[in-house]
Order: sequence, then structure tokens, then C-alpha cells
Amino acid sequence: MVAVSPTRRADPAPASAPVARPARRRARRYLWSYLYLAPMVILLLAFIVYPIVASLWYTLYQWDGIGDPTTFVGLDNFRQIMHDSIFWRSLAHTFVYAAIVVPVQLALALALALVLNNRRLRFASFYRTLFFLPVVTSAAVIGVVIQLLVSNFGDSINTVLMDLHLTHSHIDFLGDPHFALGIVIAVGIWHTFGYNLVYFLAGLQTIPEELYEAARLDGAGRVALFRRITIPMLRGVGVVILVLAVIGTFQVFDLVQVLTSGGPYFSTEVVNTYIYHLAFGGTNANAVQPNVGLASAASFFFGLLLIVFSVVQVVVLRTLVKRRAAGRETQGGRS
Amino acid sequence: MTAIAVGRPAPRRAGIRNRRRMVSAMTHAALLIGGLAWLYPLFWALGSSLKSDDQFFTSGLNPIPSHFMWSNYEQAWQEASFGRYFLNTLLITIGTVLVTLVVTSMAGYVLARTQFPGKKLCLGLVSATLFLPHGYTIIPIFDLMQRLHLLDSLWSVIIVQSSSGVVFGTFLFMGYFMAIDRELEDAAQVDGAGFNQTFWRIMLPLSGPMVATVGLFTAITAWNSFFLPLVFTLGRPELRTLAVGMYAFIGENSTNWTLLCAGTVITLAPIILLFLLLQRFFVNGLAGAVKQ
Amino acid sequence: MSSPTFSRRSLLRAAGLGAGAAALGGGLAACSSSSSSSGGGITVNYWDSFVSQAPWVDNEIKLFEKANPKIKIKKTTQVADQYPNLVSLAFRSDNAPDMFQLPKSPPLTQQVTQNWLTPLDKWATDSWKSRYPENSFIEGNNEFDGKIYSAPFAGPAPSLQLYIHNGVFKNAGLTNPDGSVAIPKTWDDVSRAAAAIKSKSNGKVYGFGFGNSQNTTLAWWLDLFVRGAGSPGGAASAGIDSLDSRVGKWTYSSDRNYADVIALLLNWKKNGYIYPNSMSISDEQARAYFERGQFGMTVGGVWNQPEWTEHKFTDYSLMTLPSPTGTPQALFYGPPGGYLFAISSKAKHPDETFAWFDWLGGVDSGKRYVASGQGLSIYPESNDTKDVTSKPFAQYVAMANTAVYGPQPTIRNPDVAKLTLDTVKPDINDVLAGAYTGQIKNVASALSDLEGHRNAGLSDAIKKANSSGAKVNASDFVFPDFDPLKAYTTKPAS
Repeated sequence: MVAVSPTRRADPAPASAPVARPARRRARRYLWSYLYLAPMVILLLAFIVYPIVASLWYTLYQWDGIGDPTTFVGLDNFRQIMHDSIFWRSLAHTFVYAAIVVPVQLALALALALVLNNRRLRFASFYRTLFFLPVVTSAAVIGVVIQLLVSNFGDSINTVLMDLHLTHSHIDFLGDPHFALGIVIAVGIWHTFGYNLVYFLAGLQTIPEELYEAARLDGAGRVALFRRITIPMLRGVGVVILVLAVIGTFQVFDLVQVLTSGGPYFSTEVVNTYIYHLAFGGTNANAVQPNVGLASAASFFFGLLLIVFSVVQVVVLRTLVKRRAAGRETQGGRS
Repeated sequence: MTAIAVGRPAPRRAGIRNRRRMVSAMTHAALLIGGLAWLYPLFWALGSSLKSDDQFFTSGLNPIPSHFMWSNYEQAWQEASFGRYFLNTLLITIGTVLVTLVVTSMAGYVLARTQFPGKKLCLGLVSATLFLPHGYTIIPIFDLMQRLHLLDSLWSVIIVQSSSGVVFGTFLFMGYFMAIDRELEDAAQVDGAGFNQTFWRIMLPLSGPMVATVGLFTAITAWNSFFLPLVFTLGRPELRTLAVGMYAFIGENSTNWTLLCAGTVITLAPIILLFLLLQRFFVNGLAGAVKQ
Repeated sequence: MSSPTFSRRSLLRAAGLGAGAAALGGGLAACSSSSSSSGGGITVNYWDSFVSQAPWVDNEIKLFEKANPKIKIKKTTQVADQYPNLVSLAFRSDNAPDMFQLPKSPPLTQQVTQNWLTPLDKWATDSWKSRYPENSFIEGNNEFDGKIYSAPFAGPAPSLQLYIHNGVFKNAGLTNPDGSVAIPKTWDDVSRAAAAIKSKSNGKVYGFGFGNSQNTTLAWWLDLFVRGAGSPGGAASAGIDSLDSRVGKWTYSSDRNYADVIALLLNWKKNGYIYPNSMSISDEQARAYFERGQFGMTVGGVWNQPEWTEHKFTDYSLMTLPSPTGTPQALFYGPPGGYLFAISSKAKHPDETFAWFDWLGGVDSGKRYVASGQGLSIYPESNDTKDVTSKPFAQYVAMANTAVYGPQPTIRNPDVAKLTLDTVKPDINDVLAGAYTGQIKNVASALSDLEGHRNAGLSDAIKKANSSGAKVNASDFVFPDFDPLKAYTTKPAS
């Protein structure tokens, strides 16, 4: 079976609907558009938007999720979250997690994508498969396997480390606050690396080979090709990949939950495990009264912080770009 | 444009060819060793699933079993009633993939190719949900499904599972359809094809790689989904899925690691196979979606 | 509020007394369901979350169906981790079972006010009640507003023990003159044994090991050791059961035993006595390592035993309440009463459902429960060591006298049941993990903060309850005449 590759046009702007069409025909076209859109919009409203709105309502109550919420507490839940040092600690861990996972994962993924994108490289799709496979496995399964590997056989790793005189005492990797978050981060990079690899590969495939050939004829070297063609051509896709990676890492949950459950002593607690522990009352063995209202408040507060964070980011970026452009203009750098 | 095989005009062709071969061989060696090391945890799980209990403890990080304990698989299959769960998971996965594909391809098509009042609003709504915090309780959705009398059916799982991937899929299809040449569509309309025919006969068949991509991503999530099938089949345990069975299996056999690894391999094998079948389409599909 | 709930944690709280689940707490998750097709008769839907107890339940179903050919039991074993969640969702929809194991949350009072349960009074005649020991039905525990909703299942038993690996002890030369294993009794005995194990094995075998990945086991060590030193509150993380009933307060900081035990733990860690991966492995993994002689001692409950028995590993001993002097200064306490199963308000065939309830909670079923080595039954006549083949389980049965009834504020003032305590975070488990991993440097101030927060939480809860009409007082929790070495009979307020 050969992949269908339709001819494509670089210009995405859809031509506006023909003006001369009778109004009735246009209305019928609208109708079809709405009908095609309806299933998606219905699913979205019912199962994504409605629960968000409902949760917003819960934030005003102290409620354990049984029956209907009755104990109105106003904004008390938000106040409680803001005064909880564990929340801020878990927020810091979330940022550290994102700040390491995103750049490392994207840099590695881009580098590997560049190697695999070579048309003359045989077995490229085989290698792609190797590096993509961890994505297919669920976090629950990964948690069990990695925990077995690191904790049960941490002894073997430790022996090697001690023989090499890298460490002088036995390390409990997932149980030691100095290492636990690092292990979680490493596993996080490993687990979702494959997505970014194929996104970058897809982006690279859209760069026409002719561009490179033309540049090569001009005598451009490898570095120049990368800087002058690959980077600019990948910019659009790159932003999308970056945004997806950032959204994904800020929402990290199941991997942490299965590896450390946030411990020891909150040293790997991220916002989503923190919220989960509020909403579902700790672990199986450690029952705590669940508080759905507080958990919803924490989740909204986190969402709010993220939105503020992204807005600040966009504003800073824009001013930087503007300033640079302004600077160029004053220097008369128009060509 | 890669680290290797970028030729430069030079007089000593044979030397270059040799060097090129060297570089190529080294690249392959690095990729192969790196790739296999990357998959080491999975190989270790696979190897451990075939070890005996004692060997599991003595062999440590060595993934290769000394002799193969196929009986682990037999036992895992029977103990976890994987057989029954397998069928449920398959039905849920197929259902979710179909619903997601139909819903997202149609939405992606009209968002990419047609103009209508309210389009901007719709796009805004879809993008906003990507960033908004999702609710932290299943209760609103659960109540909704109850009012629809869909609880305790595979349908409820399929519908809710589909909704979780709808935004991402719509965006991917939208990107893909935007990149397809408009002339084809126009030609079809000149031939008298209606809105429906244009989509189902012309556009959807053209988006094969994207269908494979969205289908694969959806299948991965649906196959591994644990919480939704657990909650929506709580009154009918016979509708449980592999992931739920596996979760319980982990609990019951928390110290029977070889059995546990066998269970892991059983749940993973089908989705890995599916990936191997579809993987060559889906980079193409993604490439189509991100093409400007 | 003091109602015991069904998890391993609850073992600390309920001390195995009355709280049936205490002894049933070993399981993690289960999903196997044995459904019986109904052949014209009546089907009773029954839910639990048992794992290691499943063979016993399945056998009871078989026997029950044979005795009652018209009734079929359809058992659903839910995933234990999500059990409270699933029960609550089931009652939101029309999926509620006819009879079920009571979930650990919400508290039983709330399950009653949410109208989940059917009162048993129709069937609970005086003669039916008389099969249970005295004081089995207690207002605020399994009886609310004079209506009985459940019945006790498990009998008094110590919730935690120190497990000793005979092989490891023998290799370390820790034996009596007659060749039997020398069981440590005092804290010093325990430390010395660990030192001997470490030195005789050249560091290959550790003195202690546990699996704290779920952030609970460290508190088991603390609980077991402070009780031995005379702190009746122990170290449970939630509920009121961990307060010192003599003063009606938490005493994590004012009672020096807590800091002493933590210092002891840290000292063991410093000396390298503790299996180094103990913080990251699970309790189940620790159990497997103990079985393989990776360390000589661990703390746990009777839930350890069925799996070891299944693996034919019985070469271990157990003791409870190690103490500074060799004589325990406090015991395990629990409330009289207790509950494990209930009939749902949605039961379609209440009479048939009660027949199954009656069977499963009956004397014969209890006997088979004990014989299967799961725990003790509420019926003294069921706790017959004659049927017990496992020597370690016999040792457990023999230490039943270390668990007694403790003071019950709800009996003296039923309004106490209206209190809802807010969760205190960080709790005792967190403080222990923080101290053990060196993240909490000043243990004394962490303990004093915790004591302050818990006591403030109780006064807040009292204020809140009183403002909505209850009459509760801080003195309701004080029992000045309570002797930690004796059973206490709480008298209703006159």
C-alpha cells in the first residue's frame, strides 16, 4: 500500500465563497457546514466545556463528592490553596519539570529527526519505530516496570556506581529527595520523546528538497543550511510543537503518580498529583476525606496562573520583537 | 541535510566513498545501539515475563531468560480473564477510533474549507479548551451519562473517550485539508458532486495518511484508558477493559513480577502491532497537516 | 466520626477491634468477578474489594447457594483503590448493589444520612443479636438513631506485629541456648539484633526493611514502638483515634516517646541497619524481600501471612509491642461494635439479601475465615486455634489479649459523631518521611506543629458542630480514669 500523497498548494487561504451564488444555495451550504460541525461541537460542549463550568461551581463549596454540594464557603477554597505551602512547592516542581523536560526533549528530538530525515539513510523508519515505541505504552505499565528496575534492581546500579567510585553509599533513587525528581524527569523525557520526534520529522518533510539543493549550489555548508533553511522553515511547526510540549508537561500526572505518588515528603509532588490527592483523599492505604471543592479550586487557580504565565510570555516576546524591529528601522536597516 | 552523506565535489572519489561508508556505518551503529538501549526497559519487561520467579531475582538487570517460562503467559491470560477484557477493549478502541475519525474529519473539513457565520467563534472555543483546566471530577459527566441512560454500556465509554481527543484531531484534519489543492474540489463540484459527495468521495479518501495518524493516536489512548472504562462499567464488570484488568492484576500479583510482566506484554502487544502496521502512514499524515 | 474504616491504615485506628476490615485490609486491588447465572431464582448483587480474602468469600457463596438453592449471589470485586469512589457513583446512579462491603469513606454516619443503607431492625431480633458478644451494637458506631445498620465482623486482635525472619536470625547467631530463635523484646534487643545481622552477613543482609512507597509504613513502626513505650494514642494519621484519651489531646510533641522512636529510626538508618530502598519499594515488595531473607525484621499486620503461607514460607516468628523495658506500657484499643457489610437501601430482595448477610457474618463463616488465616472473628467460639495449621497464625491468635476496648467518646456523648475533622497536611506520615529522608531537620518543631494543628483542628470542628446545633465539648474526649493497660468500659452519660 502506498501512502496517498495528494498535490498540495502552499497557499492555504481558502477562496471566499462565490459572491454570485443565490442566497438560498449559500444558506444550504451553511446548513451543511453546521451539520458537519455539530457532532464535534456537541461532544465538546457536553464532555469538556460543561464539566469545566460545573467544576467552577464546585470551587465555591466544601464538598466531598457525595450527594450534592451544600456547604457554601465562597472563595475560601482559593484562599486555602494560596496559603498552602505544599501547593507552591508542587507548583515549583511542575515548573522545574517543564523547564527541563521541554528543552531537553525538543533538542534531542530535533537532532534525531535531522539524522532520520536523510533520504539516503536506510532503515530510517525502523529507527523511528524504535524511538517512538515508549509512547505506545501506558504510564501505569511504565511506572511498574521502571519502579521494578530502579528499586528492585537499584542494587545492581548502585554496585556499578560504587565500583566506579562515582558514589560512596547506596542510593535509593526514587526514595531519596535528591534524586527522585530527577528520575521522574528522565522517565518523562523518555516516555513522550517519540511524539516530538515524529512531529519534527513531519515538519522536516514539508521543507522542499529544492531549497537545499539551490543553497548547496551556492556553496552553503551544513551549518549554513541548517541555520538559513531548516531553522526558518521549521519555525511555524516548531512553535506548535513547543506549545504542545509545554501544555503536556504542565499537566504531567500519571507518571508521577505511579512512580512516586509525589513523595517522599512532597519532593516530587506536582500540581496535578497535589490536586488528585485533594480530590480523591490520598492513597488507598491512607484515607483522607476527599474535598472536591478544594481540588476544583486548586485546578482553576493553576489554570489561571498558567494563563497569566502565557500572556506575560506573549507580551514579553512581542515587545522584544517590536523593539528589535524598531531598532533595525532606526539603523536604516531596510533592504 | 544531515550529518551524513552530504557530498562535496572532490577529486578523490574512492576515498570519499570510503569515508561516506564509514560515516554511514557509524550512524547505523549509533542508531541501532541507541535505539535498542532506548527500548531496554521494554526488553527487560519482555525478558522478565519469560523468567522463572527465582531467576527473576538472581538475574537482576539482565533481560535474557535462561530458559523460557511460557507458562507465565498461560497463567496470566487465565488469571486476569484477559480473554473477555480483550474483546471489550477491542470494541471500545474500534468504536472510539471510528467516532473520533468521523467527527473530527467532518469538523476539520468545514473549518478548513468553508465559510460560514460563527466560524471564528467556533475556532476560538475549540482552541480555548486546549488551555483551560479540565474539571477534576468525573461527577458532571457521570450524571450526564446517567440522564442519557447510557451508563453500563460500551457506548458510554466510547462517547466520552472520543470527546477527549476531539480537539486535537479536529486541528490535525483542519491543517491537512487546508493544504489539499482546491482545484480537485472545484472540479468535483463542476461534475455536479454535492457537499456530501465531495467530502466522502473526494476529500476523505485523499486524507488517508491523516486518518491513519489520528486513528493511531486515538487508538493508543483508547487502548490504554483506565479510568473511564472503570467508572462507566461499574455496574457490569463483564464490560471491563484490559487496562482495568491489568490494574487489578497489578494489585493481585504485586509480588509475582514475572506474571505481571507477562500481563504487561499481553496488553501492550496488540497496540504495538497496530503501530507497526500504521506507522509508515502517520509521519506523512502529520507532514500534510503542518504544511503551510 | 470515630468509625473505623476499611483499609490497612484503619488497622492502626481500630486496632483490629470490631472493625472487620482491619483484618481484611491486606488486599490491594481485585477485579475478578465470579458471576453466577441465575436460573429462575433470585439474584443478590454483592460488592466487595477483597483480594486475599476472595477464596474465602467464593467458598461461602458456594456453600450458601447450596443451602439456599433459590438464591444466587452475584459477586463483583471492585478495584480496591477506587472502591469508595465507585460505591459513591453507584449510589448516584441506579447501580447500587444489594449488599456490599462498606467503603472507607464517607463515614458511616454520612452513608446513613445519604440513605444508602437499609436498617436491619426488621431482622435484628433480640435472639439474633444475642449471638454476638455483649456491647456489639453501639449508637454512633453501627447504630444510628436507634436503628442498626451493620454488625461487627472481626474480633479483637493486635493490628501490628514485628515479624522476625528465623533463617536470618539463625545465621546471625541470634538464638537461644535450645537453638530456637531469640525473639527480641526490648528496643535494645531489636537494635542489637539488627547490628548482629549486619555484621554477621558482612552487610549483605539488613536488620530492618519496609516498603514506604505508599507513605504509610513508617507510621506503622512509630505506632508499634510508641505503644510499647506507653503512648496509647499510637500514630494513626486521620480520625480521632490517635489522641491520648487520658488528656483528650494529640501528644506528638508533649509525649517524648514519639521523638524517641523517630530518633531510634534515624539512628538505625545512620548505622546502615535499614534496607536502603525501603522508601521507594511498596509494602508488597518489602513482603517479598522479607520472604527471601533480604532483611531480618519488618513491621506489618496479619495481612502479611496469607501470601507467605501460599508461598510455603512459614519459617518466621512474630511479636508485638516491643518496649524500652520489655513490658509493654500500652496496648491496642478499638471501639466495641464495628461493621463490615451492609444491605443497601436499593436492595430489590431485602429478605434474601439479609439471608446472605446473615450467612457471611455468621459463626460458621467466621470459623472458616479464621481457619483460612485471614484474621480473628468477633465470635470467640470461631477463634478456635484447633483448626489453625499455620504456626505463625497461631502466634497471632495467641496475642489477641494485647487488643482491648478503649474509651469511646461517642458512647458518652452521641453528638461527637457529628464532628467532621478537616484533613491536616502534612500529617504524621509526611513528617516521618520528611524526617527519614533528611528534609525535616528539626523533628521536634515539626512534631510540635503537628500536635498544634491536630488539636486546633479538633477545637475548630467542635465549634463548627456546636454552631449547627450539636452539643460537644473538649472534655468529651478526656477520660482521666483510663488505664492504658486495661480494657475500658465507656458508660453512657447519665
